[in-house]
Amino acid sequence: MSEISTQDIEALMALFERTGWKVMHLKAGDFDLFLSKDGSGSALAGAPSVPALPSVPTPALSAPAPAPAGAAQPSASAGDPVVPPGWVLVTAPSLGTFYRAPKPGVPMFTDLGASVAKDSELCLIEVMKLFTTLRATATGTVREIYAQDGQLVEYGQPLFLIEPDA
Amino acid sequence: MPDPAPSKGRLFVANRGEIALRAIRAAQALGMEAVLGVSAADRDGLGARRADRAVVLGPAQARDSYLNAKLIVHAAKETGCTALHPGYGFLSERAELAQLCAEEGIAFVGPTPESIQQVGDKLSARAMAKAANVPMTSGSEAVDDLAHALRLAEQIGYPVITKASAGGGGRGMVVAHAPEELAAAFDQAVTTAREAFGDGTLFIERYVEVARHIEVQVIGDGKGGVVHFGERDCSIQRRYQKMIEEAPAAILSPDVRKRLHAAAVQLLSSIDYRNAGTVEFLYDSASEDFFFMEVNARIQVEHPVSEAITGTDLIQAQIRLATGAIADFAQEDIQTQGHAIEARIIAEDPDRDFMPCPGRITRWSPPTGPGVRVDSAMESGAMVPPYYDSMIAKLIVHGASREEAVDRLAQALDDFQVEGIATNIPLLKFIIAHPDFRTNSINTRWLETDVLPAFRARQGR
Repeated sequence: MSEISTQDIEALMALFERTGWKVMHLKAGDFDLFLSKDGSGSALAGAPSVPALPSVPTPALSAPAPAPAGAAQPSASAGDPVVPPGWVLVTAPSLGTFYRAPKPGVPMFTDLGASVAKDSELCLIEVMKLFTTLRATATGTVREIYAQDGQLVEYGQPLFLIEPDA
Repeated sequence: MPDPAPSKGRLFVANRGEIALRAIRAAQALGMEAVLGVSAADRDGLGARRADRAVVLGPAQARDSYLNAKLIVHAAKETGCTALHPGYGFLSERAELAQLCAEEGIAFVGPTPESIQQVGDKLSARAMAKAANVPMTSGSEAVDDLAHALRLAEQIGYPVITKASAGGGGRGMVVAHAPEELAAAFDQAVTTAREAFGDGTLFIERYVEVARHIEVQVIGDGKGGVVHFGERDCSIQRRYQKMIEEAPAAILSPDVRKRLHAAAVQLLSSIDYRNAGTVEFLYDSASEDFFFMEVNARIQVEHPVSEAITGTDLIQAQIRLATGAIADFAQEDIQTQGHAIEARIIAEDPDRDFMPCPGRITRWSPPTGPGVRVDSAMESGAMVPPYYDSMIAKLIVHGASREEAVDRLAQALDDFQVEGIATNIPLLKFIIAHPDFRTNSINTRWLETDVLPAFRARQGR
């Protein structure tokens, strides 16, 4: 691995996001990459640390639902939500329709203030009838739900904020 | 539920860069709204700001954003779009995108999925051309193996060129002047084609040594009616990538030009072709023969030179036709005037073997003036991301004559100021100052065999 490009790093980050891993540490020659999903710092003092999620502009914590058609700006660019240290922000892995229940008329996967176990289902993202399940990466409490059921969400848009159990 | 579209409709733009911006403006000029699907790398770009709405499809990698047809059609549907423009490259010539649009009731601004498939496979395109009596170089059907290839090449006569049935761009192409050369390169050509297109099927054609690349711009109404917007000479290429294009092709006699246009119209009329397309030919200036190469079932990068000489906005024409605002075009309404040239500005360093030069543009000052047009989504402070094609602008000039167009191009290139990244502007200046360019004595290999060695030699000055 003599030359590692931005693309390689992005690909590694995407791979990491798709796994259930909490941390990933990759070392190859001078290259040292530490990725963490639960906000814990690098295990190696002095090692370069990269945030697990792409740093994308996202709506503020109290922002209303993304603007409807006609808005001049990409809906997910109003500013970053405040994520307290150690808390987990769950973002959309791609554009798609956000569903909080497995099908209409049945209870939602989770709700504000509810406890979630690690790997439990949070929501579905639908792209042309193909449903992807998003799961909690930590056991904790749902502190924010940013998107509305049935709403089109964009890549990187914040969906849930989870406070992990101590 | 998505917002209802305005009465003129809402266009989803499934592309990036200058062509996305161009489609957004064309839609807005027609009273439509435009929604742009962007990757995370393009969310702050000019296109995203000019669109009525931009949605982030996925991460920077094209595979998870611009190349995901389902994601794009989902976005178009959920943002209430009534039509979709695919631009060029990416998914523009994938039947899947046109098919998904049809299933969702979204007007695809392009050909039918069937036409895309028919002309996308080069062997079926050759069969189609043969049936329409369009001249072709002698060529083969699909080649089974090397022994078969050698037998076919013997029948066709050397030199020959191998081509991939499933795609272009130079991949799978090998020129052989003798059986030994064919034998040495055949397996590699199959492998290259398979890797690039997922299909290693090759065929063999007679190779025209000294040729020009001349293509005809057409629009079909989908019912057999096809009109042309004149031809373009795109002979200045490096590794099968066009760098400078002109309209009209000044080399053609009026008689040959007429026959060329007729061949292109006849070919696409025979399959009831719908929307914009280009029929590419090789032209042998010594014998004045032209040979069918392929059909591009999309709007092409170099369409602005045809717009300049015909005074037609081809993107608007595409959209109006796809949305039913107009039913067809009349050939007698399409007249050509003057001469136009396009130079592609790419973020590649010609002094370092065309190494791509992504990065931040610190100064962007494009030329202006009579007959000068710049199509670009760049601006000062913009980022040229490393993930996509390196073209950052198209400089188009129009003049009363070729001489005037060339002079305007020279001036415009002198005025074009780009700082922060390297571009091919120094090479473009060198090309148009070359006596062969001034006298229009060029061919498809001229840039690589004559110009680049001289350009490199000048570095040692």
